[in-house]
Amino acid sequence: MYDWPHWLIVVIVAPLLGAALTPVVSLGDRRVAPWWALGVMTVTSVAAVMLVMRVSAEGPFSYLPGGWRPPYGIELRFDEFSASVIVICLIGWLAVLFSLRYIEWQPGMAKARVPYYYALLLLNLGGMNGFVVTGDLFNLFVFLEILSISSYALVAVSGERIAEMAAFKYLLMGAISSLLVLFAVGVILSVTGTLNMADVARQLTGSAHATPAVFALGMFTVGFMVKAALFPVHIWLPDAHAIAPSPVSAILSGLVVKMGIVGMVRLYQIYNTAGLIDLRALNEVLIWLGALSIVMGAFFAIFQDDIKLMLAYSTISNIGYIVMGLGLSTHYSVIGGVVHVFNHALIKAALFFAAGALIYRTGLRTLTALRGIGRTMPVTCFALSIGAISIVGIPPTAGFLCKWYIALGAFEADRPLFGFALIFGALFIFIYYIRMVNAFYFQQPTRPEVLEVSEAPASMLVPTVLLAALCLIMGILGRVPLAFIEPGATRLLAPLGG
Amino acid sequence: MFEALWDNRDYVAAVVLFCIGLYVIIAKDNLIKKLLGLNIMETAVFAFIVTVGVVDGGEPPILGPGATPPYASPLPHALVLTGIVVAVSTTALALSLIIRIHRQCGTIEADELREME
Repeated sequence: MYDWPHWLIVVIVAPLLGAALTPVVSLGDRRVAPWWALGVMTVTSVAAVMLVMRVSAEGPFSYLPGGWRPPYGIELRFDEFSASVIVICLIGWLAVLFSLRYIEWQPGMAKARVPYYYALLLLNLGGMNGFVVTGDLFNLFVFLEILSISSYALVAVSGERIAEMAAFKYLLMGAISSLLVLFAVGVILSVTGTLNMADVARQLTGSAHATPAVFALGMFTVGFMVKAALFPVHIWLPDAHAIAPSPVSAILSGLVVKMGIVGMVRLYQIYNTAGLIDLRALNEVLIWLGALSIVMGAFFAIFQDDIKLMLAYSTISNIGYIVMGLGLSTHYSVIGGVVHVFNHALIKAALFFAAGALIYRTGLRTLTALRGIGRTMPVTCFALSIGAISIVGIPPTAGFLCKWYIALGAFEADRPLFGFALIFGALFIFIYYIRMVNAFYFQQPTRPEVLEVSEAPASMLVPTVLLAALCLIMGILGRVPLAFIEPGATRLLAPLGG
Repeated sequence: MFEALWDNRDYVAAVVLFCIGLYVIIAKDNLIKKLLGLNIMETAVFAFIVTVGVVDGGEPPILGPGATPPYASPLPHALVLTGIVVAVSTTALALSLIIRIHRQCGTIEADELREME
């Protein structure tokens, strides 16, 4: 079943085509749109499961659309890192389900526009699927733009007062970073005459053009750092992620920022294989910026009263963990960092879904106003607490194993200072989640309406509880993703002699 | 050093244009001007990629009677075409956002908008 070769193209084409057709199929009745989106995501998820089964059985494989051989044609390449499609599909599917009730309620969202919302959502998910499976640099840029532009639009759909301003800020920074990536692609093309990633790595090996290659590497890195919202260039993230409708926040925070990380992994694959440049300087920068992100993200999060703003800052902190893991470039830290891409996506989506359910029922979004909500919405608040202890990294939850691996990597690389930065960041995070749990369960309500709401509807409860359960399951079965990603990480570091 | 720069003056021009665009985005308060800065940056990148495809004495790569090699590389043009499509959609989205900002806040000056927040 899984050896049907065309699953790899289905995973990209199904959501993109589905997005284009969403307004058409919902012409007669706009209530069709969510079910259509759900169906499209189901097909995509089946394809994703097949692909992951194949990669774990056979190792990385390629697909050549139209039968054009690389380096002339575009190559789609599926390796262990591309397995993120399964997380993209899972969270995408759940986000569509969550949107069912949420987006109808979203103030400032015209009912007639709802099909377009689902079209944008599918476009975004299709762009991400394409981004993680492509083996061609220009194709990478195209999918980066598909997912970025749909993200800008999705931030603006909420129609809240500063939504457009947040979206515009996001657009400006995002467009600059995309242009840097495009510029770097042009430089790579001029140096090597090819766009296929594997071929670029071959051409760069022993190439005489080290200077332009360094230039391209710099622009790629800065471009992807902006997309990933690493510390000094994170300023677009908090507003955009806090203002977007909650299911969109879950996708943006859980998946879209991770695409910058995936881009960075692709870069490492090319430059490590080529061995043209000593990457130690870049690694050093990434370790420091990662550590700064961890501490600063967690630090800013403590002072937030708005629950979604707090979660947005915690994303910056978690991106720091992943980037630090990559930068340390040891066996353990890379595995931990990449698995944290998966696990943080699950955790953050669970948290944003739970926060969205609270906002949907009460219309309130600050910790002060939501005091005592644990009494009336026990299931949602329990899921939120599971997500919270998971993101702090208390065993046996999903967050623990990755952070443990990254810390092990820091000690393995003989950089204990960064191991302590990591633990310090976790302590900060612990403080603000204690604040949250305290407000929900132990403080007296400040608003009477908090005690009158009922539990969230099933279409919201199911995604939230499912993801919260996965946070626990991934903690207990944590060896599975770690073992899955190991061959990929080994191959990534092999040229370095690690 | 200067000779190397002069030999690659087309690339230098693209980088200078790119930096001008970046400066406009950072320094100007008007959102439309910021968007124009972004367009300048886009043009810089496109110009750079097109010049990458130039071959000295190259003919247009169209087969037919009288076509003689060497040919200019057609690949960068295809890339730039795609890039322009992307740039148009970014610009369209940005303009519609600016319109909505103006409707809601009555201004498109970044400093005044910051005060409103």
